[in-house]
Amino acid sequence: MLMCRDLAIIASDYLEGELATADRLSVKMHLMMCRHCRSFIGNLRNSVELMRAHSSQSLDPAYAHRLDEEIARALAQQQPKGDPD
Amino acid sequence: MNIATEREDEALLIDRLRAGNAEAFQEAVRVYTPGMLAVARYYTDHSSAEDIVQDCWLTVVGAIRDFEGRASLKTWLHRIVANKAKNLLRKQRREVTADFSEVLDPELDRRFKPNGRWAEPPRFTTTESAEALLENGALSDCLDKHLSHLPETQRSALMLYEAHQRRSDEVCNILDVSASNLRVLLHRARQKIFLMVEQFQETGEC
Repeated sequence: MLMCRDLAIIASDYLEGELATADRLSVKMHLMMCRHCRSFIGNLRNSVELMRAHSSQSLDPAYAHRLDEEIARALAQQQPKGDPD
Repeated sequence: MNIATEREDEALLIDRLRAGNAEAFQEAVRVYTPGMLAVARYYTDHSSAEDIVQDCWLTVVGAIRDFEGRASLKTWLHRIVANKAKNLLRKQRREVTADFSEVLDPELDRRFKPNGRWAEPPRFTTTESAEALLENGALSDCLDKHLSHLPETQRSALMLYEAHQRRSDEVCNILDVSASNLRVLLHRARQKIFLMVEQFQETGEC
């Protein structure tokens, strides 16, 4: 029988629909009977969504500027102007 | 933005990159560098990661003309970073030290009885949506803090998984991990955030 700890182990797979049918059914059965695990799954799903909504990816402006300069230099080398030949 | 428009925008950007347009590179740097740093950080420390990503952009200046567009630009860039990072590790005779052994976070695991039932069940059920929760600036800051404290391997896996629209195969390829190990990294990271949100909602403290 699926215990609460077992459910916690496979909770991500359940949320992502990665479980085989039999395991998925065991989880659903367990959730019907166990309010603690219903809370756990609900809160974990919320954590996933929270991270999704929050995943702002900031870039250090000084580093971005350094990249711009290095790239400009490489571009200039790649396109030599006024070939003496 | 829908996927078709995204692809059209990307095709336009690639044309401008191929033409050696400096402004196009500045745009691309701002769009793609955070993801590229995440790839590099999976393999190495912060300052080496910045060097690897810089080196990658310089490679791209010459190589963009050969880019055939079979993968998305993002995937192509991520693969270049991963290859450079793996080469560096090989030269330094180092390996990525990710922990795949424990699926449960120890802090969560302690909350179960030996018989596998909850000893300390979740303290309440979150009813608010993620967006509503994030309106609380303090929670948002707390999330930042906890994300920055995650092990690099977990954080990179999480970020790339989202960046690649949750396509595990892409991420496994870039990070050189099996599908089951990727799932461990993601699940561990999510449990940490679960524990953080619970603590925050209960005490209002980070």
